[in-house]
Amino acid sequence: MNLTRLATDFAGIRMATPVMGASGTFGFGVEYSDFLDLDQVGAIISKGLTPLPRAGNEGVRIAETPSGMLNCIGLENPGIDVFLRDILPKVRKEAPNTAFIANFSGSSVEDYGIMAEKLDVDGVDGIEVNISCPNVKEGGIVFGTDPKAAAAVTKEVKTHTSKPVIVKLSPNVTDITVMAKAVEEAGADALALINTLTGMVIDINTWKPLLGNVTGGLSGPAVKPIAVRMVYQVAQAVNIPILGLGGIATAEDAIEFLLAGASTVAVGAENFVHPDAVVRVAEGINAYLEKHNLSHVSELVGKVQIG
Amino acid sequence: MNETKKLVEIGNIVSNWELSADVNALVLECPDIVSVAKPGQFVMIKNEMGSTYLRRPFGVADVDKEQGLLLLIYRKAGKGTQELAQLDDGAPISVEGPLGNGFSFKNEGRTLLIGGGVGIAPIIYTARHLSKELDGPKPVILLGVRNHKELFWSDFVENFAEKLVYTTDDGSYGRKGFAIDAIPDILKEYPDIKHIKVCGPTIMMKGIAELAIKQGIECEVSLEKRMACGFGVCLGCTFEGKSGKRWKVCGDGPVFDAEEVFG
Repeated sequence: MNLTRLATDFAGIRMATPVMGASGTFGFGVEYSDFLDLDQVGAIISKGLTPLPRAGNEGVRIAETPSGMLNCIGLENPGIDVFLRDILPKVRKEAPNTAFIANFSGSSVEDYGIMAEKLDVDGVDGIEVNISCPNVKEGGIVFGTDPKAAAAVTKEVKTHTSKPVIVKLSPNVTDITVMAKAVEEAGADALALINTLTGMVIDINTWKPLLGNVTGGLSGPAVKPIAVRMVYQVAQAVNIPILGLGGIATAEDAIEFLLAGASTVAVGAENFVHPDAVVRVAEGINAYLEKHNLSHVSELVGKVQIG
Repeated sequence: MNETKKLVEIGNIVSNWELSADVNALVLECPDIVSVAKPGQFVMIKNEMGSTYLRRPFGVADVDKEQGLLLLIYRKAGKGTQELAQLDDGAPISVEGPLGNGFSFKNEGRTLLIGGGVGIAPIIYTARHLSKELDGPKPVILLGVRNHKELFWSDFVENFAEKLVYTTDDGSYGRKGFAIDAIPDILKEYPDIKHIKVCGPTIMMKGIAELAIKQGIECEVSLEKRMACGFGVCLGCTFEGKSGKRWKVCGDGPVFDAEEVFG
């Protein structure tokens, strides 16, 4: 794939393409090396990291839903220190040319600052602040549904890092633009949206929730129209760049997000189903640009025509 | 960990037939995956024309490396497998694999292979490997099924078995009861059994694992858990072993030492 139409600078993070692997669906990137060329991945966004190792939630963690899935993994991860010591060097060795964005959350404003500082190292190209995991109390959702708390976290992170700061927003709010504006004013360099929508499945044979955590986060094609709408609304409200995600399975899906106002996109649940999806989507965008005589992907951003 | 390169291959259906009212066999042509698949590994499959979203894990039941054919055996339990059962020869299925570690094989003593329900599927390839591809003694095979309508497994394994023993839940064939009930007699008859490998419901594997540990017989269990990806990223299938280490059923398993799971 000739990448000249796709090379993107996202809030100071240089990427081969605007298509990334979304946090929690892309491991640390290297797990995908059998299925795709990591050089053609825009960025690897890590599994959500926390200050200490987490075992995650008990019981059933995955449920199939119409055109999607629910998960309640509960931020299982080895913790920031093991990540920095064992995982990051391995990733940088196996994927030296791919941008790497570390996703993290904490249970206090101070936690976020400590995490940001620890991640301010070579090999990390940007950080994604998770204030939107719906599955654990410490997953930041308390910060993701209160504009003042979201701003406080963003400010704390900004003062502890030299990296571009992306704040990942939750769709589980009344008006996502309120959150987006609060985070922008607090100094965020970019926004990512949407995280998963809270959902529930009940087993009618046992009359019990199917998931161990009772509720989980909905992702997959089912959420795409909601995500596109939210990206569109946020793009009208802020001036910082947007990473759009939520149900992207094809290049056509990704192009909708770009037209709605996202300058980059991430593939999430679809990676589980078609592990070459990140590269396939990038190839499809490239073919679309070629077909429409467009010289660069940025020419699509925010070009949806209303009225 | 599985060091073989993982692939996604479109496997056309060669045949898809009913073994019993709720169990089907499916043969797919996917030579690249078949050429490297080992006993006890699994594949994640997706019927691209079907209505379900995620892939589903299926244990490799057997392979024909010369013809590039993969055998899967599945219970028509949900929407996805019911749709799969409707497909005709030639229909394309996306197959991802081979995944997981597979059983381990040591060149000493006889192996007792135990399967329960559709967990019997991976026992087929494992039995053929032991009896035809390795030089050791043929395995003794113990199968726990519901009733006499599930004896179709014999067609797949009897040529590879030193002895084939059934237990049925209702006593309509073989010994009435659970597979574990038949083990003491088998061990008495075959004192050269040094390994037990089990694939079946958790409750069955737990009991057999405890018995094997007590008797000092090496035992491997093949686990099944809900997973979205099959290669270590979704973390849907993790668990904490007896050693305190966290494992992924998909990537570190599905085969584990019984002591680590049930010890």
